[in-house]
Amino acid sequence: MLWLQLTITGLQTGALYALTAVGFSLIFGTTRVFHFAHGAAFVLAAYVFYWADQAGLGIAVGVILAALAAMAFGVAMDRIVYAPIQRHEGSFFTVFVASFGVGIAVQNIVGMVFGRSFVTINTPLSNSVELMSGVYVAPLTWIAIFCVAVFFGALQLFLRRTHTGVALRALADSPELIRVFGLDPRRISAAAFALGSLLVVPGAVITALGSGLNPALGSHVMLISLAATIVGGIGSINGVLVAGFVLGLAENLSQIFVQSQWSEAVTFAILFLVILLKPAGLFGRIQAR
Amino acid sequence: MSLRPILQARGLTTGYSEAPVLENLDITLGEGEVLCLIGHNGAGKSTLMKTLFGLHPAWEGVVELDGRPITGADPKALSRAGVAMVPEGRGIFPNLTVDEIFDLGLWAVGVPEGERGPRRDWVLGVLPMIGEFRHRRAGTLSGGQAQMVSIARALLGRPRILLMDEPSIGLAPKLFQDLLAPIRALQLQEGLSILLVEQNVREALKISDRAEVMKSGRMIWQGRPEELSDNRKLMELY
Repeated sequence: MLWLQLTITGLQTGALYALTAVGFSLIFGTTRVFHFAHGAAFVLAAYVFYWADQAGLGIAVGVILAALAAMAFGVAMDRIVYAPIQRHEGSFFTVFVASFGVGIAVQNIVGMVFGRSFVTINTPLSNSVELMSGVYVAPLTWIAIFCVAVFFGALQLFLRRTHTGVALRALADSPELIRVFGLDPRRISAAAFALGSLLVVPGAVITALGSGLNPALGSHVMLISLAATIVGGIGSINGVLVAGFVLGLAENLSQIFVQSQWSEAVTFAILFLVILLKPAGLFGRIQAR
Repeated sequence: MSLRPILQARGLTTGYSEAPVLENLDITLGEGEVLCLIGHNGAGKSTLMKTLFGLHPAWEGVVELDGRPITGADPKALSRAGVAMVPEGRGIFPNLTVDEIFDLGLWAVGVPEGERGPRRDWVLGVLPMIGEFRHRRAGTLSGGQAQMVSIARALLGRPRILLMDEPSIGLAPKLFQDLLAPIRALQLQEGLSILLVEQNVREALKISDRAEVMKSGRMIWQGRPEELSDNRKLMELY
């Protein structure tokens, strides 16, 4: 039953990858900013939650503080880092380097404050229960899958039923036209960063409660988000969701054949295969620019 | 000109990088008139439209709305002050449905929630053909349908001034006529002021009260449409 155990674990991993990657894809798809510091938002949210737990504030307060921290970080990046670069017509590469720099800075600051070693939160939610002979599932797995359903459903509703959501989809089409309509692209961009950064919170909290944290986690999260965005298809949030699950399942199921330390290589083998066979991604469309 | 100036630019100079596109340009749109702006590609017509609507900064000069300076005002402020623009090309978001584009347009210009339904119905009354495809994704519309949606979106805020940048691009002359006819009727009925940039001179002059010809960022001729039509030298050029 090893394959079933790994499939269940893969679904949990995939759920967390999917939401985090959807957040990155939402930001990139709407603003065209390569927000490398998305991984830093994940680390920040996770450590704020960890700090709240250590301070005895409880899970609910910790989740709220983590969400506020992630959203504030995303919006601050847009306003303080990206907006000035874009105002001076800085290139895509300049934005990327600035984002990369902030990501590294956040990783180091978190390391200075909380230390570089692994930290975990002890919770009964991570205690596995035998589902059937040889197959163990922790409540966190169900919480992860529940979170992806709720957050992704809410995101779809938001993008289709609210004016800000429709404006985000419009921004992805044409920032210039947004201005012609009389809307402020900077405000819509801030909404994209707030929402995209909010989507890291379930993954950050569940990682803090489950496998544990270290400050370097942001780079891994970012690589997975990028891989899922490319595999799923840039601009296709549904595709990125599926890709997140594909990568999570592949990473875990590959352990049947290779040692777990090579699981990241499996992720990138999938990425290369998709780039070679379907350059626009599984659900993307090749667009003329 | 006897009409009260509603939108005016004086000594307008702007451009891209170091190169000026408009140089010390004056233009006045009178209240309730259709002013047709004619010129070859590169004359600066679209740059002028963008500068008047706050999409492009003015280097020098003054833009006034109702006699009050608005130079540097952004499109959001101008939209709420009753100016709307139909941009060059397809002014639609291809991944949104026509209804979503209308919702966004109504929200953008701050039409109160309770007035949005009647306002949408009013626009569908002006351009009734849109009713046949209002649930479709805009990216699937034909050129004429997309242009109709773009104009209808601009009308949603019931603007006093409409800036239209080459609405005939990609449209057959007959289709362009069909598109302009209801807009002219609305303009006459509501006293709308329209600044129309066009390369399809003959069709545009039919609905215009006045025409100006632009060359290399300056106005080189102005007069009544029939005077332009009689000017063989200019008509051959444009």
